[in-house]
Amino acid sequence: MHSRKKQQKKPRDDKQRSAVDAPFLIIVLILVVFGLIMLFSASYATALYRFGDSFHFIKDQVLFAVVGVTAMFIASRVDYHIFHRLAWPLMAVSLLLLLVVLFMPALNNAHRWIQIPGFGTLQPSEIAKFAIIVLFAHIISINYAKMKTFSYGVVPFMVVLVPVIVLMILEPHLSGTILIVAIGGIMMFVGGTGLKWFGLGGGLVAGGITAAVLAFPDLVPYAMTRVEMWQNPYLDIQGKGHQTVQSLLAIGSGGVMGLGLGNSRQKHLYVPEPQNDFIFSIICEELGFVGAMVVILLFVLLLVRGAVVALNAKDKFGAMLVVGIIAQVTVQAVLNIAVVTNTIPNTGISLPFFSYGGTSLMMLLGEMGIVLSVSRQGRSPKT
Amino acid sequence: MSDRQAPQPNMNTVIRRRILALVAILILLGFGSVVYSLVDLQIIEYEDYKVKAANQQLKDTVIPANRGVIYDANMKVLAQSATVWTVAVAPSEIDEEDRAGIAAGLSEILGVDEQSVLDKLAKTKSSYQTIKLKVEKPVADAVRQFAIEGKGGKGYKGISLSQDSKRYYPYGNFAATVLGFTGTDNNGLSGLEAYYDDVLSGTPGRQVSAQTATGGDMGYEYDSFYAPQDGNSLVLTIDEVIQHYAEKELDRAVQDYNALARGVVIVMDVHTGGILAMATKGDYDPNNPFTIYDEAKRAEVEAVADDPATEDVDEHKQALLEAQQTQWRNKAVSDLYEPGSVFKLITASAALDSGSSTLNDSFNCTGSIKVAGTTMRCAHTEGHGAENFSQALVNSCNPAFIQIGTKMGAGTFFNYFNAFGLTRKTGIDLPGEAQSQFYTAEGLGPVQLASCSFGQSNKITPIQMITAVATIANGGDLVQPHLVSKVLDAGGNLVEDLEPEAKRQVISEETAKTICSIMQEASGRAAVKGYRVGGKSGTSQKLDSGDPEARISSFVGIAPCDDPQIAVLVILDEPQNKVLGEVFGGYLAAPVVGQIMSQALPYLGVEKIYTAEEAAEADVTVPNVTGQEVANAQVTLTRDKGLSVDVKGSGSTVVRQFPSSGTLPRGGTVTLYTEEGLADEMVTVPEVTGRDMASVEKALAAAGLNLRKDGSTGSSSVIATTQDLAAGTQVPLGTVVTVSFHDPSVSAD
Repeated sequence: MHSRKKQQKKPRDDKQRSAVDAPFLIIVLILVVFGLIMLFSASYATALYRFGDSFHFIKDQVLFAVVGVTAMFIASRVDYHIFHRLAWPLMAVSLLLLLVVLFMPALNNAHRWIQIPGFGTLQPSEIAKFAIIVLFAHIISINYAKMKTFSYGVVPFMVVLVPVIVLMILEPHLSGTILIVAIGGIMMFVGGTGLKWFGLGGGLVAGGITAAVLAFPDLVPYAMTRVEMWQNPYLDIQGKGHQTVQSLLAIGSGGVMGLGLGNSRQKHLYVPEPQNDFIFSIICEELGFVGAMVVILLFVLLLVRGAVVALNAKDKFGAMLVVGIIAQVTVQAVLNIAVVTNTIPNTGISLPFFSYGGTSLMMLLGEMGIVLSVSRQGRSPKT
Repeated sequence: MSDRQAPQPNMNTVIRRRILALVAILILLGFGSVVYSLVDLQIIEYEDYKVKAANQQLKDTVIPANRGVIYDANMKVLAQSATVWTVAVAPSEIDEEDRAGIAAGLSEILGVDEQSVLDKLAKTKSSYQTIKLKVEKPVADAVRQFAIEGKGGKGYKGISLSQDSKRYYPYGNFAATVLGFTGTDNNGLSGLEAYYDDVLSGTPGRQVSAQTATGGDMGYEYDSFYAPQDGNSLVLTIDEVIQHYAEKELDRAVQDYNALARGVVIVMDVHTGGILAMATKGDYDPNNPFTIYDEAKRAEVEAVADDPATEDVDEHKQALLEAQQTQWRNKAVSDLYEPGSVFKLITASAALDSGSSTLNDSFNCTGSIKVAGTTMRCAHTEGHGAENFSQALVNSCNPAFIQIGTKMGAGTFFNYFNAFGLTRKTGIDLPGEAQSQFYTAEGLGPVQLASCSFGQSNKITPIQMITAVATIANGGDLVQPHLVSKVLDAGGNLVEDLEPEAKRQVISEETAKTICSIMQEASGRAAVKGYRVGGKSGTSQKLDSGDPEARISSFVGIAPCDDPQIAVLVILDEPQNKVLGEVFGGYLAAPVVGQIMSQALPYLGVEKIYTAEEAAEADVTVPNVTGQEVANAQVTLTRDKGLSVDVKGSGSTVVRQFPSSGTLPRGGTVTLYTEEGLADEMVTVPEVTGRDMASVEKALAAAGLNLRKDGSTGSSSVIATTQDLAAGTQVPLGTVVTVSFHDPSVSAD
């Protein structure tokens, strides 16, 4: 890396690093490579049965990873402070896209994707997630001194969050909404919003659910079946419980050591779309409890190292960007694993770095680049 | 912008604290809870999930083992398995638009109903639906080609062929009740197929393979294969040639005499107990054992099915099942009968062997005898008069045998009955052997003993009867009747030699020889010239039958009497002889035994030995003398061959002769034609049956025909019973007419 040498020759500030955080970069690269290996293993059977080509999914994903890693390095070289200026425009574009997507043809009864000829599909909610992170970081860096107050610590965030949530519910995209609320909430929490407002927010959500139940009693049986299926997926093995049961069989039959890399049986058309949301069950089946722990450990390390980067960030804006990004990755990973292990009811959340999906991988790696960019300007961490 | 400031070493302590809190919460609550779930799933409940997953992932395919071959004694194949195919479809893998094409194609190739195939294809959750079982190779090949090249060369997914095997019996309804047959899953259901099922069936192999959710194969790396072990083969004591003779003759008799309850023949090697032939007629074709072969029975069963009064479908099934079980039943081992006069051989053996009677004992038969107040009649109602022991057996005299039995006493009688193996199953290697029913020594009162002495009251199986007779024929040893001599593995190597040992000596060799020589005098219509056939007839009442006229007519023969090799038992159950009105075993069963003997003995290489008288009439080969001087020809024929000559025409050389080749009885006449253009002189065959021998000789000589004598010719009192050319037939001068004689003094009973 010639650029690194250059910067080392001319340190701008002895307290400021000019190099990216190597441990964080290494963790990211390990996750990318591991993710590609597991995606190939999990997807080749389905790819062969459905498309007659074992490499159907992995070919795309490798390409996206290469583009993504390139994007990450570029992003790490860009001064993240430009996002101060981009924060609002990004949010405006996001809202526009979220509006446009509602007029797109529905896939699986939901309007989540915008078809762009020659490029593929674009998921506006992915952009919205990033826009929220950037905008919240921006607002917090401005309001940090008054975050405890309602008018500075809550109102501006709600003004941004509510339209996004409404548009996403209209798609409908429940899992995306949950994720955005979680990321937003975490950023407000870290940014210093008074804890009492969280209590109040919780109360409001509970009230809202009660109101919804009263207003739309038809939703209750639907919700009840979801809960019932969660409690006992074996009630309907062929139908609604199918995905969950097959996932549990894959995880459970992996045992401590697993069946060995590539040896999953459940990926042979039992677990639906093992390359997407349920890739973690195939990892568990092939690599066992040990492998699952390695994956979880990598995410924990990413979180911890991300936190270290945030703590040593040059400024609050950098810190909050990192917090938002690592919160997104961590929450998404936890929710995904919780779904496949049936710890929480089934919602469609992919596993970062592992699940198939070009947009999401490229966005993710771009965000990792921003974290690296923050680390470049931050202090050298003590650890 | 407000935060563009120098780096803050002590960034807002709230943010610092909250970042640390966030990390702690996410790790403990978030990752903690999923790790907890994983521990539960992968460690605590691992075994449970492993089994559940395996249950859906693994497919256990049985690979059938080839069933062993059944060979006759000369390694001719009597039963063999060939590979056939099962055609199946996997509806879950078949696209909806392909269904119609597949249904049409399969129904055309396999001849199955198109709609039924469509119905099976509609079961889209199923990964296996059988379309047709036991499809033979050409059809299976057609299906394979259809699956690869159908749909305009694109081929169809989801059609599968799997191997199975089908049993073939190359000789059709041959030894059917002995061989038995197999069911659709290739297990033996009857006969040797059932008895030796474990030996023949082998051990099926298994292929445990991983299957995809739609039932397809996951790939070779998941397979474990356990090779099938093919079944062993059986070598029988049955000789296809002798079996063929026996079946042919029995079948003819059963049809000629309309034996309502079928007929049985057993041919046994008397020294080893090996069964050379065993048949029940009518029987069935084991290739299609479920078809009813008796036309009358079939009509009956169909009538039950067609009868509108038949409300219950079960009634038809019941009728069908009964008819099937009847035709499958091997009478030789499964049916009990009262042997009648054939049993007198046992009584006679016991009496001589125990010393209670001697050959010098004399009897006087008046046609009936009183036993404990009950009058018992002789078959010969006018009475045999004075007779010795041998004559009593030849005459089949009931009063004499009642006296012989009474003299011996119940204890001795029962001991011999038991020693001859008649109280226990023989243990022959066939399923369904019946247990005999008999009086024990305590149960044998005077009347029962009298009745048992001449073969009524006690009921035994045909196989027990012939085994007891074999004991007499082989010099006194009770042999083990059996059908299988060797077990071979799939490669033809000997696995086991099953030749059993004789069980015990029952009577002395002397007694056995004596009885054999008396049997030779009682051969009657079973006699075969040159072969010293001995025998005994039996005609028993079927006391348990509704028809008081129902009889079982039987005959047992042994040959040659000076050194018996084989025993032949023929039983006709409920024969209807409308012509003679008589159903005596000596009339109906004895000729069948004779016919079988006359074919089996030469085949077995038993040498013909003629008495001086028979030798004088033994056949000579007719030499060809055409082209020779008449005088020379006459010398050749008369001096060298002992034949007579009848010269036709006035030429000096022989231009044609009749017969031109073959054999003539010694003393027969050869007609020599000495002029070209002379036609064969035709003569009319006279009626000779019922005449004595001298009269027959005279009549045929007068007609210009050669006589070949058959049957009993030893005594001057014999009369002709049959002639092979019907009276009135026009035949060339010098044609041989074969006439069978029999001795009317030998009882037919």
